[in-house]
Amino acid sequence: MTRLAIRNLFQSRARLAISVGGVALALMLILALDAVLGWIERRVTAYIDASGADIWVSQEGVRNMHMASSSFSSSLATGVARVVGVESVTPILYLTNVVEAGEERTVAYVIGLPDGALAGTPWIIRAGRANPGRDGAVIDQGIAEESGIGLGDTVEILGEEFEVVGLSEGTASLTNSIAFISSRDFASLLANPRVASYLLVRLEPGVSPEQTARRIEAQVRGVTAQTRQEFAAQERKVVRDMSTDLMAIMNLVGFLIGLAVMSLTVYTATLGRRAEYGVLKALGARNRDLYLTVGVQALVSVALGLVVGLSFTLALAQIMPRFSSNMGLELRLQALGKAGAAALLFAGAAALLPIRQIHALDPAQVFRRR
Amino acid sequence: MTNPTLQVSELTKRFGSGVTQVTAVRQVSLSIEPGEVVLIMGPSGSGKTTLLMMLGALLKPSEGTIRLNGQVISDLDEGQLPEVRLRQFGFIFQDFNLLSALSALENVALVAGMAGRKNGQARQKAQELLVQLGLGERLGFLPEKLSGGEKQRVAIARALVNDPAILFADEPTANLDSKIGHDIMRLLRSIAKEQCRSVIIVSHDLRIKDIADRVLWLEDGEFKEMTTMVTDPVCGMSVEQEKAAAQLEWNGRQYYFCSRGCRAEFLEQQQAEAEAGSVHPKSMSESDPAG
Repeated sequence: MTRLAIRNLFQSRARLAISVGGVALALMLILALDAVLGWIERRVTAYIDASGADIWVSQEGVRNMHMASSSFSSSLATGVARVVGVESVTPILYLTNVVEAGEERTVAYVIGLPDGALAGTPWIIRAGRANPGRDGAVIDQGIAEESGIGLGDTVEILGEEFEVVGLSEGTASLTNSIAFISSRDFASLLANPRVASYLLVRLEPGVSPEQTARRIEAQVRGVTAQTRQEFAAQERKVVRDMSTDLMAIMNLVGFLIGLAVMSLTVYTATLGRRAEYGVLKALGARNRDLYLTVGVQALVSVALGLVVGLSFTLALAQIMPRFSSNMGLELRLQALGKAGAAALLFAGAAALLPIRQIHALDPAQVFRRR
Repeated sequence: MTNPTLQVSELTKRFGSGVTQVTAVRQVSLSIEPGEVVLIMGPSGSGKTTLLMMLGALLKPSEGTIRLNGQVISDLDEGQLPEVRLRQFGFIFQDFNLLSALSALENVALVAGMAGRKNGQARQKAQELLVQLGLGERLGFLPEKLSGGEKQRVAIARALVNDPAILFADEPTANLDSKIGHDIMRLLRSIAKEQCRSVIIVSHDLRIKDIADRVLWLEDGEFKEMTTMVTDPVCGMSVEQEKAAAQLEWNGRQYYFCSRGCRAEFLEQQQAEAEAGSVHPKSMSESDPAG
């Protein structure tokens, strides 16, 4: 019966192509969307992940960077530095603002770095230097290329002009980038030189980040201290929460497309072979054998659709960065699981109607003249 | 005397109810011996197909019983009937009804597999049967690549693959030319005789009469005497002997006609041949029931 199912499936190539194509498209939509979000989530925490800090200290109650504002006196850094196990503290300034490079305007996380910062500096430098220094700025290489500027050119950040002294990599996403200037320039623009947004804390070797974070919160008033992993997880959560509705809608669209295509193709395939199923029933095939045939057809169709959809998504993940360094896909295991579950649901739901059709099929029809 | 394979008693089938009720088969009784070839004939709408469907466990009778090797199968529920059809019956159809996506070998092996044979055994059995039926060179061919006669032989192999007690053939020669049709019928007869399987054939084809052990005439859902049925030598129409419109004895043989026109035509032909010197009538007598 399995052989029959597969032969039936492959006999009508056009129907198979529509079926597999439809499922592949639907699953690709689900996979690609998740992969885009996966990539955004990774990029959105890229700075945190690569900061080199073991603990992030922020204004009390602030637990992330995206769409958040953290501000406290930079003198708190001294208190944090006194906590047992702390090796160094780097105060940084942070704002979301616009970087104007030539005609291009891009939203950027603007980071103010102190001279000789031990954490929070750009982690890959393609040209120039990592330390922005006085009146200097380090911007993302991809943004610079798109804007047609390079080292020595001028960009406008927070309303002031800066000279591009370094080009970083991995510091841009689909929606924004990271620009680094010196804390001194940043503070002067804020008209408050004694302020910090976050303290990036490095620990002595072997010290527990979790326990130290708790100690910082206990010993320094008015701050929230989180390990790097906790801080990054909070950042991802914010992005995920913001995209939950969009994800749900797009997943639903993908699911409905897949379901509609699969249901239609499996139904018409069964309808087209109604007479043959009648013959099999007359010859003594049990209903469950025929259900199995339809089920296997649906299952093989969605399995092929999943393979094709996954292949296209993987190919897309390879191709996209070639067009723009600010775009990418990151396939996640959980998305594969979700697509697999959706595929199983497609198969199950698509087989239901034909199974009812077969159940009602009268084997005696084979003797009725056509 | 052997025990009958199939015993049918007072079988009736009604469709609909009230004023629209139609009785397709009424109180038919029949007994089929092992190895016997029974031909059921009758005009369209006479109930042949309905009877065949009931005998083949595809349709429940309204009344009466069907016994297969002594076991009453007409009372079995729907869930048990596929097993009876699969293991006890073989079906041969007018349109062959082979599965278009499967090769000749796979068409036969599939039915063996349905009965529980392992894939390798099913294919081996299917191959043996197809080779026996002269299709050794066509095992891997899809039905669309086979001729009508080959398709019907594949269908016969499929019907035989689970060693059934009875073969049911529904108009098995209708889509075949006369020579191939004749070959198929001889094949069915030899299967019946050599393998001691009963064969029940429903057909309009009068030529099948030659291979049948018994011919039954079904009309208005009832069996009628078949001995009264004869063939008009001019138009080939089946005619009840006693009700023939005209008859003629020619060269010691009695001919029956559906009309006086056919008798006149027959006479003209024979006389023309006689005048040409080929045949001289030794004797001739004629009668015309119509006067």
